Amino acid sequence: MTVKVSVKDLHKSYGDNEVLKGINLDVQENEVVVMIGPSGSGKSTFLRTLNKLEEPTSGEITINGSNLLDPKTNLNKIRENIGMVFQHFNLFPHLTVLQNVMLAPTELKKADSSEAKKEALDLLDQVGLREKADAMPAQLSGGQKQRVAIARALAMKPSIMLFDEPTSALDPEMVGDVLAVMKDLAEKGMTMIVVTHEMGFAKQVADRVVFFADGYIREQGTPQEVFDNPQDPRAKDFLDKVLNV
Amino acid sequence: MFKKWLGYIAVSFAVLIGFSIVNTEQQVSATTEPHYTIATDTTFPPFEFQGKNGKYVGIDMDLLAAIAKKEHFTYKLTPMSFNSATQSVLSGQIDGVIAGMTITDEREAVFDFSKSYYKTGIIMAVNKASKIKKLTDLKGKTVALKTGTGSAEYARGIQKKYGFKVTYFNDSNTMYNDVKVGNSDATFEDMPVMQYAIKNGVALKIVTKPTLAGYYGFAVKKGQNKALLQAFNSGLAKIKADGTYQKIVNKYLDASASKFSGSKADNTTFWGLIKSNKTQFINGLVKTIQLTIISILLASIWGIILGLLGVSPYKWLQGLSTTIIYIFRGLPLMVLAFFIYIGLPNLTGDKIPAFVAGIVTLVLNEGAYIGAFVRGGIEAVDKGQMEAARSLGLPYGRAMSKVIMPQGVKIMIPSFINQFIITLKDTSILSAIGIIELTQTGTVIISRNMQGFKVWLIVAIIYLVVITLLTWLSNWVKTKMK
Repeated sequence: MTVKVSVKDLHKSYGDNEVLKGINLDVQENEVVVMIGPSGSGKSTFLRTLNKLEEPTSGEITINGSNLLDPKTNLNKIRENIGMVFQHFNLFPHLTVLQNVMLAPTELKKADSSEAKKEALDLLDQVGLREKADAMPAQLSGGQKQRVAIARALAMKPSIMLFDEPTSALDPEMVGDVLAVMKDLAEKGMTMIVVTHEMGFAKQVADRVVFFADGYIREQGTPQEVFDNPQDPRAKDFLDKVLNV
Repeated sequence: MFKKWLGYIAVSFAVLIGFSIVNTEQQVSATTEPHYTIATDTTFPPFEFQGKNGKYVGIDMDLLAAIAKKEHFTYKLTPMSFNSATQSVLSGQIDGVIAGMTITDEREAVFDFSKSYYKTGIIMAVNKASKIKKLTDLKGKTVALKTGTGSAEYARGIQKKYGFKVTYFNDSNTMYNDVKVGNSDATFEDMPVMQYAIKNGVALKIVTKPTLAGYYGFAVKKGQNKALLQAFNSGLAKIKADGTYQKIVNKYLDASASKFSGSKADNTTFWGLIKSNKTQFINGLVKTIQLTIISILLASIWGIILGLLGVSPYKWLQGLSTTIIYIFRGLPLMVLAFFIYIGLPNLTGDKIPAFVAGIVTLVLNEGAYIGAFVRGGIEAVDKGQMEAARSLGLPYGRAMSKVIMPQGVKIMIPSFINQFIITLKDTSILSAIGIIELTQTGTVIISRNMQGFKVWLIVAIIYLVVITLLTWLSNWVKTKMK
């Protein structure tokens, strides 16, 4: 098995406030890692350090064998290989759905425009929104926006996908569609790191569940291990609260 | 998008360079005779003023022309306010000044004067209906003076003794009008100038005998342009000897009111004024439009650069942008114009054509305002947009031009339109450094025909029409962008 992401002793502080206090995590190829934990536990910050949207204070991050924190590393090349999906979608509102998906491949000359268009339409097909290709983002529902955002993140053919609370901003009836697309991706073998509060998704799709609290990874294991028999008291407490509503 | 901007920059510089080439070509006439630039006042009849055909005439102008002919030199005349004229000579922008300039000790400290070519005296003039008859009547009154003139200096000298207040103006006509409408009670002026103005319809009267005989001289910067000064002296002696001098003086002092300023109908009716000054209005308008368009183009580019630096990830670039915006937004436009046109050549020794100095002034000032709202517009775009673009692997510049700017520009458009209109209006301030744009055109025409109200009304209407057209154009572009 190949290690896609390797993190060693990662720290991140905002001024005096240390939000990541030494994180170690390896993610294997095709693995789906779901990160759970209370708000402010550092899981989103950790996810955002993996494509350097946040600058870590210290530690090591290796993505596909490249040292992410080496100033000589071509960050843009690494980012092409890591798709990211945001809580608030962040679609480009001045571009159509199709243009949103095509932007990076055409700008970065990965494909000529007819080829990029064809691939973009295939991706929209994959998320079930081909017929919305010419719509503007403002005309879409939240769930549709997030599926377009997933298609856009896939357009550079990344080998790793990061999801930062992809369903938190959605109306409940929209959540299912987005999770279905993610599940589909997981089944196709995508390496995925997902921050979410959807415990059902974690149980069903995750190969490994990682529990964050107070800037540390407190517990990790298969969904069964973590959900059915948590060892850490913070994890137990958290799971009690979210599972027994 | 960036390539497009680069294109705009290239075109604008080409245009600018083109202008300066045209300007220098005008200066260098195809002759081996020595060539000078000579400044004069825009409004000092009968010594210098614009005749009805738009050409500068007056005693100074005719003397200069006659002397140049005798001494075989050529010159380019640059009319501007008296103060700017003297300072432009001191800063080396211009070789000499002939502007009814009284020879004084202070001036001799920094200028070399020719032999005096005219003897004058200072008189006091008041409103026709005024009861003021003598200097002692001035106690507690306000006296209008023209900045930097011998009369002003004289008035300041006696101010304490007679207990009056003073107020300053940059051109004679505004000063006369201030007395006419009653804001000021009296003015001091050189006698022939006042006589000529009254003859041409200024409703003032002279109440004192000429005092403090003054001598007008042609001036160059101290220690400079010795050949020009020598030529002037030698030419002056020659035209005095052959009678040309007296002919010129008589021509103006004996002239009837309409001889130089045009017929009464042309000067008092609205359409007459427009018709008789058509070419001047058009030339002024063209200059204003040139200034506006070139400035808007370059200021937009400069402003966008400043705005982009302001949001750059590097702290020192942000600081640079903030500092530049702070300085040039904080400086009054006119101070900046004087600094660039008159101040900079003092430091560098290189002349800057007034038009180029004007453009640079506008670009720095308007660019700072544009920079501030470009930065604001970019910052108003959701932070997630940049994150999404960068997470796709787009480099910073590409993310900026493809994702952030198209959204930011929409936010900025109303501010841009506003700034364009302000730029157009701000070009009028450049009249101070002698650019004959629309406002200066108005000043110049009024100095000849004394029709302040009607001419300013015409100028105001022209500005309104152009601003309306500019607003329409901007709104059309705005709808196109949507």
